[in-house]
Amino acid sequence: MSRRLTLKDLVLVAVLGTVLGFLYWALVQAWTALSLLMGPAGDLAQHLLLGGWLLVAPIAVAIVRKPFVGIIAEVLASVIEVVFLGSAVGPLLIVAAAIQGAGSELPFALTRYRRFGWWVYALSGLCGAGLVFFYSAFRSGWYGQDLFLIRLVVQLVSGVVLGGLLAKIIVDGLARTGVVDNFAIGRVLPRRDRA
Amino acid sequence: MTLVSLRDVSVAFPRRGTGVLHGIALEIAPGERMLVIGGSGSGKSTLLQLVTGVIPHSVTAQVEGTVTVSGVDTRTTSVVDLSRTVAVLAQDPASGICLPTVEEEIALPLENRGVDPTAISGLIDAALCSAGVAHLRTRRTTRLSGGEGQRVALAAALAAGPALLLLDEPTSMLDSEGVAAVRDAIASSVARYAPAVVLVEHRLDEFAGHAGLAALPERTIVLGAAGTLAADGPTREVLADHARMLTAAGCWLPIGNELDAVFGTVGGLESPAVRAGLTSLARRSTADEAADDPGPGRGTTLLAATALSVSRTRRPRRSRAPYTPVLSGVDLDLHAGQVVALLGANGSGKSTLLLTLAGLLPAAAGAVTGERPGMVFQNPEHQFVAHTVSDEVGYGLPPGSGSLVARLLDSHGLAHLADQSPHRLSGGEKRRVSLAAMLAHGRGTLLADEPTFGLDRRATISVITALRGAARDGAAVLFSSHDLRTVATLADRAVVVADGRMIANGPVFEVLRDAAVLESAHLGLPPLVRWLLENAGSDAGVLRALRALDAEVPVEAVAAS
Amino acid sequence: MTVADSPLARRNPTVKFALLVVVSLALLFVFEPVTPAVLYGIALVAVAASSGIRPRLLLVGHLPFVGVAVGLLLVNALSRPGTEIMRLGLLRVTAEGVEVGAALGFRTLVIGVLALGFVVSTDGVRLMTSLHQHARLGLRFTYAVLAGYRTLEELPREWQLIRHAHAVRTRAARGHPLGDVRAFARAAFALLVVSLRRGERLAMALESRGLGLAPRTIWRPVALTGTDVVFAAGSLLVLATVFALTLPR
Repeated sequence: MSRRLTLKDLVLVAVLGTVLGFLYWALVQAWTALSLLMGPAGDLAQHLLLGGWLLVAPIAVAIVRKPFVGIIAEVLASVIEVVFLGSAVGPLLIVAAAIQGAGSELPFALTRYRRFGWWVYALSGLCGAGLVFFYSAFRSGWYGQDLFLIRLVVQLVSGVVLGGLLAKIIVDGLARTGVVDNFAIGRVLPRRDRA
Repeated sequence: MTLVSLRDVSVAFPRRGTGVLHGIALEIAPGERMLVIGGSGSGKSTLLQLVTGVIPHSVTAQVEGTVTVSGVDTRTTSVVDLSRTVAVLAQDPASGICLPTVEEEIALPLENRGVDPTAISGLIDAALCSAGVAHLRTRRTTRLSGGEGQRVALAAALAAGPALLLLDEPTSMLDSEGVAAVRDAIASSVARYAPAVVLVEHRLDEFAGHAGLAALPERTIVLGAAGTLAADGPTREVLADHARMLTAAGCWLPIGNELDAVFGTVGGLESPAVRAGLTSLARRSTADEAADDPGPGRGTTLLAATALSVSRTRRPRRSRAPYTPVLSGVDLDLHAGQVVALLGANGSGKSTLLLTLAGLLPAAAGAVTGERPGMVFQNPEHQFVAHTVSDEVGYGLPPGSGSLVARLLDSHGLAHLADQSPHRLSGGEKRRVSLAAMLAHGRGTLLADEPTFGLDRRATISVITALRGAARDGAAVLFSSHDLRTVATLADRAVVVADGRMIANGPVFEVLRDAAVLESAHLGLPPLVRWLLENAGSDAGVLRALRALDAEVPVEAVAAS
Repeated sequence: MTVADSPLARRNPTVKFALLVVVSLALLFVFEPVTPAVLYGIALVAVAASSGIRPRLLLVGHLPFVGVAVGLLLVNALSRPGTEIMRLGLLRVTAEGVEVGAALGFRTLVIGVLALGFVVSTDGVRLMTSLHQHARLGLRFTYAVLAGYRTLEELPREWQLIRHAHAVRTRAARGHPLGDVRAFARAAFALLVVSLRRGERLAMALESRGLGLAPRTIWRPVALTGTDVVFAAGSLLVLATVFALTLPR
């Protein structure tokens, strides 16, 4: 199987990012406490939810299993966010997304896209959250703040839980439904005959 | 020079034990038109995917034999390269359209083939005209109805003038207006572009319509249950010879062929032998009837709507424009043991009414009284919440309901699928799961939004049996449908909505006989039902004849509980 | 002047996007408030004048990021070590904190208003076409984004349908927070499954329309005119001038 990303792979990954982005927005709409958090207190609360932004990458990697798909997944999602939804963060969101994707993909790449246990996902969340933390820290000037350590810890935990472990739950669920059978993940799973 | 050639082709999927196709040998000449029929799971879609190259490039499968399209082997040519010759119109209107406006969508295949930009606009017009949708040129694609979407996709498929057009059940997700519109569009655009055509269509009765066999391609192949080529010849002969087998496999045949198969005659509804046969079916009473005992007012009222107005959106607080709800002044009573059909044209507010009755949308005016009903939605996948079929059926039930779940699985023919993910099932199986899951709750009223949508004949009959069974158990059932044959077979009463109000509410055959009402709702009676209404002697007779015809189709045991 | 005919809408989308990137990058290194404040003033006037946006929409469009900007100011004012200028109980407000907070706050406002002007005056499809044409963005990537957008258009309807479909299956009383989260999770999973299935079919449709064949033409190419060059040069000049005049040496 070639390592080049096909149109089918790219569309899958774009749709994945779009749906997750939409669900994030729906969650904020539905939970008024969250939207309050997102406004003025958003600067602090963003670390809690950052894991959610990381979800796209590990799910994409686990389904498609080709190099760079994690980064591309994050970038596609952010492009849609910036171009069609007019994200107030602006084009630099794409830079942040790429960095998140790179961090998330790293553990999978290092295990040659063959290991998909809980620990790889957890590591993926950790690296994704960690890498983007340092970029954001520079951009938003967190280095001078008293809260630096708290921010880092909350972000890393969110990354591991929401960006790593939750991703594995979703991937396993999707694999069972058969909706991703025609991708790399479908070729590796145990064959189960239909009755 | 043949356009498409399959030599000894067999296909097997890794997840399914036995192969899907075996030893298929087939040739299609340029400009030839061919119909492919077979039961569900017989490999019709697989055959089309072999020709487009989706198998083996996008879908994993083991393929033996060779498939050649326009002289090239599909194994070594990509799907995109094959698309120069092969165009597809798929089932789902929503996923056949990729861009936000109609004209961009038609322009895309032309751009891809490097057509001179100055010529593109004219070609777009030509394609839209031939599909009958020239007026939709600047429309946004999210605003297209199912029938419009399919016609736009058809125009996009043909705009570049491919040599071969594959139609993969193009009308299965449409209502009767959409089916007629798409059928006509296919006829006119194929006449203009003259490609070779391979049509896979499961509702041959609707597709053939009044034109009968003349509307169908001249050549037909039949795929048997084992995935082999069971027949290949002129349509008239093939349908006549294999009608029994096809009906048993669950296909909807043109009504003439169905009746000929049942009575062993030739000539369809026109033949005196068939008419005599139908009349005798109408007179013969069966053991079933005693248990049925229909009556327009039997049982207690389980759900009542009084002066109900329904709307898709909330009434704006400071409205400058006059506000009209989708439906107003609806008075409806649902009684235990009675099945009511809800009829109306596309967009007349049936779904909105059902959602309001279910308590999911607030009423714009008036009230709904009664216990909260259960509801089964048009796309069963929208309702799935669990990872296995048995968990799905048992969802929301108190702990310890294992035996109830087991019983329901058995009676709906789902026992062998208990550990499968519900998303992996076939269309008919998914529908049965969603019905079983709703029936498990034993709610007094059951609402169903197009429960037989897109199903083959066997699955339709099992849904009819399940709903009738629920009514016999004392539930009140209200279902919306555009298939008048199903309505005549299943419903006791019918309600018709059009132009923002309820224009009819009465015993089903009375409503079906009212031509003015059917006209306002854009509904047309199928020829069989029309003939029976005029000649079967009594309403009970019409029902008997329809049920007897359904009984000819062997179905897996579905409980009348 | 409607939004569609406005001068800003007629500018090349890639140029607009590139300018937005340049401004974002330039501000990335600025941590004092005067520069972004001045830029905000200029940007606000520019967007209001050239994009034909209705004043009410302009105001409402600020809401998503004004809150963020205020939050940045507050958090930074209260959490940076430095010379204290005010005390609120246990919390210290520092001068350095206020300065950095204001800088970040204004930066958010500048990017926010420019992004608003951008999205109001730019058709997403034209932008993707333009990026493909002028910025050499890959074809498959471009259409994957468009496929994502297409899916996005259908999502609100599907989501509402799924929520209804699930609601009808439970008798549970609403309001229990854990129940709500689980209901959300189930509906979210269903949306994911249905959308991915549709996405696969969308990709097949794109391939069957011949996406990837070469050579390829573009029906309505996006123009790159002299006005665009003037626009770009002028904007960069303004940016450079503001920086030169307001950044302390």
